Amino acid sequence: MILKAPEKNIRRYGKAEGTGYQSPEVWSKVTGKAVYGIDLNLPGMLYGKILRSPYPHARIKKVDTTAAEALPGVRAVLTGAKLESKPFGIAVEDELPLAVDRVRYIGDEVAAVAAVDLQTAVQAIKAIKVEYEELPAVCDPAEALQEGAPQLHDNFPGNVAWQRELVRGSPGDAFTGADLVVEENFTVPAIHQAYLEPISCVAVDDPYTGITLHTALQSPDAVRKIVAGVLNYPLSKVHVSGPVMGGGFGGRVYGNLKVYILSALLAIKSGSPVKIQLTREEEFTAGRPMIAAAIQMKMTVRRDGTILGREADIITDNGAYSAQAPWVSKTVSERNDSVYRIPSIKTRVRLAYTNKIPTGQYRAYGNQAANFATESLIDMAAKKLGLDPLEMRLKNCVREGDITVHGLQIGKCGLDECLKAAAKEIGWDQKKEGRGYGLSVAIHANGSLVFDKNFRGASALARLELDGRITIFTGEQDYGQGTHAAFAQIAARTLDVSPAQVTVESKETKTAPFSTGALAMRQTTIGGKAIQLAAEDLREKIFKTAAELAGAPVTMENGVMCSISGQELALAEVAYYNHSATSGLSMTGEGKFVPEESDYDESGYGNISIAYSYAAHAVEVELDKTTGALTVHRLVAAHDSGRIINHLTARGQIYGGVAQGIGMSCLEGYLFDEGRVANASLAEYKIPTALDLPEIVPIFIEIEDPAGPYGSKGLGEIVMVPVLGAVANAAADAAGVRVTGLPLSAEIIYQAISGWECEQ
Amino acid sequence: MSYLIASSLEEALTSLRDGSGKARAVAGATDLYLQEMPYGLVDLSFLKETTVIEEKEGLMSLGAAVTHALAASSPLVLSRARALAEGCAAIGSPQIRNIGTIGGNVINAAPAADAAVALVGLGAKAELVDINRETRTEAVENLYWTHNRSLVDSSKEIMVRFLIKPCLAGEGSAFTRFAARRALALPMVNAAARVKLEKGFVKEVRLVAAPARPAPTRLLKTEELVIGRPVNGETISMVEKAVAEEIEVRGSLLRCSARYRQHLVGVLVASALKTAATRAGTSGKAGD
Ligand SMILES: Cc1cc2nc3c(=O)[nH]c(=O)nc-3n(C[C@H](O)[C@H](O)[C@H](O)COP(=O)(O)OP(=O)(O)OC[C@H]3O[C@@H](n4cnc5c(N)ncnc54)[C@H](O)[C@@H]3O)c2cc1C
Repeated sequence: MILKAPEKNIRRYGKAEGTGYQSPEVWSKVTGKAVYGIDLNLPGMLYGKILRSPYPHARIKKVDTTAAEALPGVRAVLTGAKLESKPFGIAVEDELPLAVDRVRYIGDEVAAVAAVDLQTAVQAIKAIKVEYEELPAVCDPAEALQEGAPQLHDNFPGNVAWQRELVRGSPGDAFTGADLVVEENFTVPAIHQAYLEPISCVAVDDPYTGITLHTALQSPDAVRKIVAGVLNYPLSKVHVSGPVMGGGFGGRVYGNLKVYILSALLAIKSGSPVKIQLTREEEFTAGRPMIAAAIQMKMTVRRDGTILGREADIITDNGAYSAQAPWVSKTVSERNDSVYRIPSIKTRVRLAYTNKIPTGQYRAYGNQAANFATESLIDMAAKKLGLDPLEMRLKNCVREGDITVHGLQIGKCGLDECLKAAAKEIGWDQKKEGRGYGLSVAIHANGSLVFDKNFRGASALARLELDGRITIFTGEQDYGQGTHAAFAQIAARTLDVSPAQVTVESKETKTAPFSTGALAMRQTTIGGKAIQLAAEDLREKIFKTAAELAGAPVTMENGVMCSISGQELALAEVAYYNHSATSGLSMTGEGKFVPEESDYDESGYGNISIAYSYAAHAVEVELDKTTGALTVHRLVAAHDSGRIINHLTARGQIYGGVAQGIGMSCLEGYLFDEGRVANASLAEYKIPTALDLPEIVPIFIEIEDPAGPYGSKGLGEIVMVPVLGAVANAAADAAGVRVTGLPLSAEIIYQAISGWECEQ
Repeated sequence: MSYLIASSLEEALTSLRDGSGKARAVAGATDLYLQEMPYGLVDLSFLKETTVIEEKEGLMSLGAAVTHALAASSPLVLSRARALAEGCAAIGSPQIRNIGTIGGNVINAAPAADAAVALVGLGAKAELVDINRETRTEAVENLYWTHNRSLVDSSKEIMVRFLIKPCLAGEGSAFTRFAARRALALPMVNAAARVKLEKGFVKEVRLVAAPARPAPTRLLKTEELVIGRPVNGETISMVEKAVAEEIEVRGSLLRCSARYRQHLVGVLVASALKTAATRAGTSGKAGD
């Protein structure tokens, strides 16, 4: 093909500012053109369906698939006994693709079929006969840890999936002769991520390219690695091709591994593409919600309000298999400790297997559960000591230069400004009669190095296209949170072009750099830094080539190069010149961001992230004392996420995260009836509607942090964290009594006001 | 499967008769769609008789296929049967209110259906006609067979309209409900009241609450206590207690405990009565 050299077409773009830049990606969504996973339909595609256990705990005696296999239209039937697979897992290897001899929760995968249409697949599932022998089940995590409890896994005695005991400083001394000790038991139920689009996957097995999973994931590479292991395929023969994602919130980091593995196995067996799509009921009964936690916590405080130490004994409810629950339990047990100057801590956390739905991760990784407990205790202490809760927080909150009890190094930190700004905006000094007020603060890491010591950063490619546009290749995913808009802005700023000139490609693992993915609030800081570096590298290459072309050194402004002789060159000209000179190579910049090695010991003590974000929320509520009904009127969310790259999407993150925080505070939570999920629908698992939300006021305290690109830091997860403590404190202020179990339903609050014994 | 959009009541009845039990009346299908769909459906949404809202010879008439959205915004309903407007406005979401109907709400026979509770509170009667062209008029609360089962057999009988005595001077009505969230949530308790005041004292009253029995429950004993009294603070506290004693409610894992519901039912009935009385007290000649 002969390419014609471009016309001299000098266009000047506006400065790459625009902190309200709206990515053109938005338009494909709002006009209904975006193709989501559930929309996918490939030629010759079969429909997969999973047979699930109706018992919380049972032995499988016999699985008879003859009738299902004989059904016309059925193309593949899988059972655990025939698969001969090894256990796999995310944090702990305790799962099989299909149960072999035992099922451990209502929803456990027992068999899978693929058929020409969904009805036939459903019929085939019904035609499979399974003989079970019921076993005693244990559904309460505290009971599961007791001696004599039914055991779930032979290699995890005592039903302990994971545990940790940690002492830092000298908690014993801190508690002896203390001025004040406050202590409480807090409970947080299991929470579903409630993304709008149920998880689906179309798996294609091709003899040449291998397996392709058409499914939207926050961490496609992490999933691909596990799936390749289970299928026993080479890693380069397992790809993920991502359609548009209908919400993730942590629920699509690893998504639903069973869905990907089983659709792949069915595709291999049948020789056709296979789609498995979870129903909403399956999402609620066999998804991966966030763990429920029971947190027994006490804090010791000096008379003047200085926190001297805190102790916690935490039991988290793993469900039948582990997924990410060990990591989430770890965050519950420690992250929140670093928001205050606490010299001594003692923590025990135990993750218990129960015969219930397995658990995964949710936005903020459990930091919000710990926030609920700690921030409640702070207010309890302030009340007992007659101190202003604002003053007590200002007295104890971390500041730049601090090293926290877990060894986090506090760099740029606007936490006290956040507190002051939130308090001022809510009217802390002019409280309205009949209203309750609450405050809460949070810290959250920008990507944890503990996650994978050997893979702590990110990389990216920036390619100059022949038409002068820029394409960024990254493995960092955008599922609505706006990272691609921010990435375009970062690259545009580095290259001095308009963000509209930049396209971000992340959906194909075949071409995208390997990445940890959209989790742990690492994308803008770590992924964005790699993009900045790639763009810088490209910029250098462009300068070099342009100088060659112009025969003199060049400068660049607004996407236009200018030689000292005054000759102007468009990016497209430079691209074309390079294209001719190299017979078709593109000019590509490489960015690799590897955060410096930092020390952390066996116990996890050390600076586990390159930067931390901070927040303070203030809430105003009203309580109807005749019913216990709580109305959250206003929530002020003050955040230090460094320099904000895009205020439009940043505000969006706050609105969405606060909405989820309100849901978790006031409405949401799994209800179980002996292992059976009682509220397995969006009608009964109540997330807030627009009418249930307060006025949300975002405030940005923009303190540049040199760690991230252009002084920016992460925001996506921390937005949810302080909501829980702030709402709980405001509710307690309004009610005069404190509720320590979430959600703060009207009934629970009314019970507390009227001094009823808890009935539920 | 057949679907007929009936163009006359006559055609609808004939079609149901021809269906010999396999065809069924349908309006918004918001409930029916969630159940097993019958072989034949006869859509009553476009008939004059089932969609009209009018007041004639001192009686309000509301078609059974009037949607919740229409009832909630009808000036006539708002001024003469406010409880119904409030009940309908509380249902589901805008989408549900735009297609769900008050007749369907009664015949679906959910124990705490919002329009049904308001209708019983107002003392509404339903007019029905069967495939043999026989008509009957029944008090709404008498149309319930058991939990979630109506006495109306929609394969043989069509509910045409509701008849309601409008609230005129000295009369008022109100509806209250309590749910876990502000939209798309079935109530833990709902209640309706209709009251007529004479010189500030209660002359006539109807108090209704749900869910307790299959049908919205009249609180006859409490009504008796209220007759002849002014609706003041003392009466309101008395009603709260009397209601909680008169009615027995159950608890459920999904909604709330029995004890809390018992408390709520008193609070909600009393609050409906209070609002209805305020409206009665301030109502001019045109009703509340
Ligand atoms: C998401 C959602 C939320 C909801 N929220 C609420 C709520 O908050 N409160 C509440 O009370 N309800 C609620 N509902 C229930 C429902 O919307 C109402 O009961 C509605 O009023 C039913 O009316 P319809 O016209 O849709 O009935 P349909 O579904 O059309 O019919 C219901 C039944 O009545 C019969 N039928 C209907 N009209 C006639 C007639 N004229 N003559 C004879 N038979 C007839 C049908 O055969 C069927 O058996 C909700 C429903 C959904 C789906």
